[in-house]
Amino acid sequence: MNTTNRLNHAYSQAPWRVQRQWVSIFLLIVLGFAMIATLYLMVTSQAAIIGREIQDLRLGIIETENTNADLQTKLAQLTSKDEVEKRAYALGFRPAKPEEVEYLYVPGYVAPKGVKLATVPELQPSAPSIPPEYTQSLLDWLDERLQTTGGGLR
Amino acid sequence: MRQQYAWRSLLLNGFLAFVATLVVLQMVRIQVSAEAEAFRAQADAFKGGYKTFYPERGEIYDRNGHLLAGNQTVYEVGVDLTTVIDPHSVAMAVSVNLGKDYNEVYSEILNPPPGLSYLVVDNFASSEAVTYLKELKTELSNSGNPTPSLAGLEFSPRLERSYPEDALASDVIGFVNREGRGYFGIEEKYNDLLAGNPVRVWVPNEPNRAVEIPNVPNGTSLILTINRDLQGAVEEILDQSLKKYDAQHGVIIVMNPKNGEILAMASTPRMDLNNFENYGVIFNNASEYNRAIGMPYEPGSVMKIFTMAAALDTGLVNPNTTYLDTGEIQVGGVTIKNWDNQAWGVQNMVGCLQHSLNVCMSWLAVQLGPQNLYGYLNRFGFGHLTGVDMSGEAAGRLKVPGDADWYPVDLATNSFGQGITATPLQILTGASAVVNQGRMVTPHTLYAMLRDGNQFNVPPQYAGSPIRAETAATLNEMLATSLENEASAALVPGYRVAGKTGTAQIPTPLGFYDLSQTNASFIGWGPADDPQFMIYVWLERPTASIWGSETAAPVFSEVAQKTVVLLNIPPDAVRLQMATH
Repeated sequence: MNTTNRLNHAYSQAPWRVQRQWVSIFLLIVLGFAMIATLYLMVTSQAAIIGREIQDLRLGIIETENTNADLQTKLAQLTSKDEVEKRAYALGFRPAKPEEVEYLYVPGYVAPKGVKLATVPELQPSAPSIPPEYTQSLLDWLDERLQTTGGGLR
Repeated sequence: MRQQYAWRSLLLNGFLAFVATLVVLQMVRIQVSAEAEAFRAQADAFKGGYKTFYPERGEIYDRNGHLLAGNQTVYEVGVDLTTVIDPHSVAMAVSVNLGKDYNEVYSEILNPPPGLSYLVVDNFASSEAVTYLKELKTELSNSGNPTPSLAGLEFSPRLERSYPEDALASDVIGFVNREGRGYFGIEEKYNDLLAGNPVRVWVPNEPNRAVEIPNVPNGTSLILTINRDLQGAVEEILDQSLKKYDAQHGVIIVMNPKNGEILAMASTPRMDLNNFENYGVIFNNASEYNRAIGMPYEPGSVMKIFTMAAALDTGLVNPNTTYLDTGEIQVGGVTIKNWDNQAWGVQNMVGCLQHSLNVCMSWLAVQLGPQNLYGYLNRFGFGHLTGVDMSGEAAGRLKVPGDADWYPVDLATNSFGQGITATPLQILTGASAVVNQGRMVTPHTLYAMLRDGNQFNVPPQYAGSPIRAETAATLNEMLATSLENEASAALVPGYRVAGKTGTAQIPTPLGFYDLSQTNASFIGWGPADDPQFMIYVWLERPTASIWGSETAAPVFSEVAQKTVVLLNIPPDAVRLQMATH
């Protein structure tokens, strides 16, 4: 019995040590919360700043689009038929008559048919394609390998 | 000692718990109080609001990429009555720069209607005026003096339709009103495509939810088949012709007979589309907006093309079939005479067309019979809409046996273009079968659509084959020969053309024809062996001469000469020489 008491006494911690441990755990939790709160604050503030930037950029886009539309219309006004005709007359030009036009035969020349105002380029058959290594997922690659090796596992 | 600390601790805890409870209770009280709804509404107002996003209206280009209809920024200028400091300066500034009445603006700022906190001063202020006002506002604000001040003056930008070519092709394009709705022509026909889809969504003020603001795609842009330069030239020729021949109104259409693309379409009167408010002053009714598609009329002898086409196609006659013209024919108890009241003797079918003999055509109509003639006219599209992609098309009228107002004599008069009404575009469409190996094209003005940076070209459509290819070729040759034999004013030096004049008396409301006034028309195409353009000319009530051969025919020639230059169509000799290479 005495031996047991002695052992308990020997291995039990001093009360101040236990208290310090509890305080440490408490401080650790507080620190953890503080870190999480700081992180949350940082992330949300960053998100808010970026969100505000997005809002500003959207306004900027609208303003730019409006300016673009204005400039396009202004350019069209400056190059309108009446304006161009006025300038041409001022420079001494006049409309050609059919008998004044000379036609020249150019072998192999094919006149362009119709205007192309598309801003997205059309896909060219000869355009280099992106190799599958850059687009394939690991599962796609594995599936392809299994199929090309005879598909014995299926 | 330890007991004392315990009490203090307990008291402090109790106090804090009490305060916390009070806070919670206050929160609950606010939530259930009478003012709760007002608070919630206030909070919601700060959170964001519903907003309608209007896409930018699609642009309209001609076939060479020239902008015909675009957009430009205009501003709504208003006064925020809660922040205005110096009403006198604000009223003075908008009066000087926006042309508003100073006293009116000043009194409205001082005595606004009850409940109004924002006063709209101008809905469509120009960019230039607003830029100046903005600079003035900033300058006054930076001066440090409380007055003069433009504080409270607000500007909201938005896009409005603008037409850089003013009145050019106004009858084809149509216009857009202040509310953004298209009227007439392309603007009305393709209003939904051009306007895009407005989106009404909740827009949060919270920056974290900025990504929720939708990105509204712009309206679809359109490329027309119209050639701006040719359109301008045709309008100019039309205006000069009206003066030269003292005609009231007129129409000229230029179309590609192979695919139905309308290259130019001019009608009078026209309107500066940027001042569409003048619509009511310029036009009496909607059908006048574009006479080429909206105003059917009795076309006269140009209809003889279709009568002859029916006669040839049924095998009733061939170009060499002869007819003894005695100067009159009885149909349905009525005597039909030629335009000159003369007898032209023995004529073949080319002669009938060349001299535009009513008696010969009436004879053909009688030989064909009502079923055949009206069957062909129906297949040529008379009495039906052409399906052109412009708003405001009229169908014209083709009376047929069985109709209450059809009489047997109509069979004869219809054969030379009386008692039947059609629009210039209907006649052009029907005649495209003669030019296009028996196949009629559907006229159209849309060349391509532009959406999300991609261009989608519109394929041509055909409206049936009323006659055989052989008939078309024969009639084409007959019409070219008849013009040459006649030494018509419609001839174009260097180019072989085919066509037909038309001079039609105008019916009065009483049912009789006004013998003093006519509608002069000409339909023609060229080069005759490989037609690349078709032209229709209609001059309404010319007084310099009442005859289509002396008014509409030379106008056709003038338009054709301009067309061959602008479309790079070489003279026949050069073209045939090139073909041998």
